[in-house]
Amino acid sequence: MRQSYALITCAIMAASVMFCGAAFAAHEPGPGKLVLDSKAASMSKAGVGPVVFPHDLHKQNLKCSECHPNIFKDQSKANDISMKKNMEGQFCGSPNCHNSPKAFPLYQCANCHTNVKGAK
Amino acid sequence: MKASSTRNVLKVALLSLVAVVGLSMTCSIGVAESATAKSGKGDAAKPAEKVIDPTDVNSVIYLDTSGKPAGVGDPNRPPSVAYRAGRGWHPAALSATNLPRDRYGLINWAQIVRDNLIKPRPSLDPTEEEMDPLDMDVLIEAKGDYVDNVIYPHKIHTYWLKCEVCHPQIFIPAQGQNNITMVGIVNGQWCGRCHSKIAFPLTDCKRCHSSPKKPPEAKK
Repeated sequence: MRQSYALITCAIMAASVMFCGAAFAAHEPGPGKLVLDSKAASMSKAGVGPVVFPHDLHKQNLKCSECHPNIFKDQSKANDISMKKNMEGQFCGSPNCHNSPKAFPLYQCANCHTNVKGAK
Repeated sequence: MKASSTRNVLKVALLSLVAVVGLSMTCSIGVAESATAKSGKGDAAKPAEKVIDPTDVNSVIYLDTSGKPAGVGDPNRPPSVAYRAGRGWHPAALSATNLPRDRYGLINWAQIVRDNLIKPRPSLDPTEEEMDPLDMDVLIEAKGDYVDNVIYPHKIHTYWLKCEVCHPQIFIPAQGQNNITMVGIVNGQWCGRCHSKIAFPLTDCKRCHSSPKKPPEAKK
């Protein structure tokens, strides 16, 4: 009787491990790089180019759930990101991200924007 | 021989007596003098045996830039050698003083001045005349549509600084003559000549970009 219990628990554990593995394998890895250029007109006025967001780089240090879906919605073009909102603590400028000592600050324009005029 | 030796002994005894009395007299005078000197200096000179507790705000240790103790956080005591030599306060010690801070936890010196918590001297030179602060705000429009405008306050800047510190080398004193860019500021031009160096850093965008600008969609 005891043996059968042990067998059942073993089977359950093995199944759960397999299920988890399958779940991870099936998980959508997300894009490597995202070009954010919805406000290109305003960006050109400010002398900066579109942002190339390195999704792969962020995935190395963060769990998906740290950003999705609370800070960024999963769908493309569903997030109305702007520098104003970043400065106010939304999106990239969330209190644990680029508005904190954990990541580089928002004023380092050329770290995210391409074609920054006068950037060293 | 015997008599002379006893006389000699007596002589030595007498001399030693005189010497002892003389010594004690001078000693007592010295003690009296030091006592009067002590009472003359007042109670402030009493060396208080303080135990330095790093969690107690009033006994914060100030370290100089090389990490050596530069004095304890007692404003009644004279400044330490390190402080007089122009070395900074240790940021960690300063942060424990419960001074007002901005939303990044940095000490807000402008707020401290506005609240009259400190009253710095206008100059080390007592003959120098203090200029009244210039109460003039300048609106600096942000270049992008989605960034709030900057309202530059002359008042707090002229509280600390003379006109010549910024004009005309850093900022041409005429409207529209300074093509200020955030990249330039980050690279140490314009505001970046002081901010992020001796003035508060650029980290808190909202501290300068404070005047809301309506995004183009909302202008319809």
